[in-house]
Amino acid sequence: MYPPPFEVTWLDTRETVSLAELSRVCGMSQDELVELVEYGALAPVELNPQGGNFSAVCIVPLRTVCKLRVDFDLDVFTVAVLMGYLDRIDELERQLRSLRATGSDQRGQAQHVEGDTP
Amino acid sequence: MKYKDYYAALDVPIGADLAQIKKAYRKLARLHHPDVSKAPDAEVRFKEAAEAYATLKDPEKRAAYDELGRRPPGEEFSAPPQWRQDHASQYTGFDNTEFADLLASLGRRQEGSARGTLPRHGQDYETSAHVSLEDAHQGTTVSLDLNDEEGTKTLQVTIPPGVTEGQKLRLRGKGGKGQQGAVDGDIYLHIKLAPHAVLRPDGHDLYFELALTPWEAALGTDVEVPTLDGPVVLTVPAGTRSGRKLRLRERGLSNSHGGRGHLYATVRIDVPGTLTERERDLFGQLAQASDFNPRAAKTKENDHVPTAI
Repeated sequence: MYPPPFEVTWLDTRETVSLAELSRVCGMSQDELVELVEYGALAPVELNPQGGNFSAVCIVPLRTVCKLRVDFDLDVFTVAVLMGYLDRIDELERQLRSLRATGSDQRGQAQHVEGDTP
Repeated sequence: MKYKDYYAALDVPIGADLAQIKKAYRKLARLHHPDVSKAPDAEVRFKEAAEAYATLKDPEKRAAYDELGRRPPGEEFSAPPQWRQDHASQYTGFDNTEFADLLASLGRRQEGSARGTLPRHGQDYETSAHVSLEDAHQGTTVSLDLNDEEGTKTLQVTIPPGVTEGQKLRLRGKGGKGQQGAVDGDIYLHIKLAPHAVLRPDGHDLYFELALTPWEAALGTDVEVPTLDGPVVLTVPAGTRSGRKLRLRERGLSNSHGGRGHLYATVRIDVPGTLTERERDLFGQLAQASDFNPRAAKTKENDHVPTAI
């Protein structure tokens, strides 16, 4: 017998987390997270004396980049740069999925093939 | 426990300074990281390097490790009593433990957090759930198998309606147990949508390809098309061009705000591969009667030039 199922939290723009909570879930100190904010890699959605609240969207990317930080022994500035590139990869992957879904890329390929046919 | 030669693992001399050790580790991490290398033993080799680096980069751990002396890698040994007293007196049961755990425990002790004495946040887990489009639309319950220190546990998780490809969900407090009053870990669930035979998702919108005959596209028609709610009749207007997208409003995936995305039929006009005599005759008559020139029309549309070349 399984225990009864439970509900989940959406990690999207509707949810926010405090600086302290973000520090706990991603494994970076609050000072390091503030440094990421100073570098422009992270932005609070609202400011408060406790360091601000952040969109829950940033939790998973931050966890990913923190794992890479440990794996490659990176400093905080490199983590900030890396976050920008990972964000760009995510956006490009999203665009690619969208093009595949809407058939836009397939149509482009078809035109290319037809153009090459003698 | 089995001895491990951390200097050999990083390919550095015993007297290597921290800069040399860091450089050697980064080189190996770049080579063997599972995100980079596709070699079957990449993860093992990466972990070996990371384990060695975790000890050699820390001056106190390195000193304790060096005190153990060098042995052939893999040799069974037991830490001398004096070494235990000096470095691991608060760490119990290390005769049955792994070498890496013993060295890792030194760090916890040095930080004043010997095993079992300070609160420790429960382990987090990251895992994926593959759900069908229908389940993403309606919501579903999935079983997650998680492996932790206590073995494999199965959780039933409710996936709410409205998830899309790549959606992240958090199951707060459902990860590993926290120690000494610390909070339990979380589970991070990555949603992956299983491919559908006909429908392709883009966010909450859905797309499918609608094949039409030339006469259906030219004259217009009613066709039955698939939706998540079952087949519906779509009216194709006369003069529908290939590539045009016909929208079925709010027939896409439900979102988590109580609404739904749209369903789009992308028109593709198909022609018979072979023609009967009668068809050939009729197409021939059409060709004679029509002055339609798709190349001219296309040029006019694409270039926004009112007079075609």
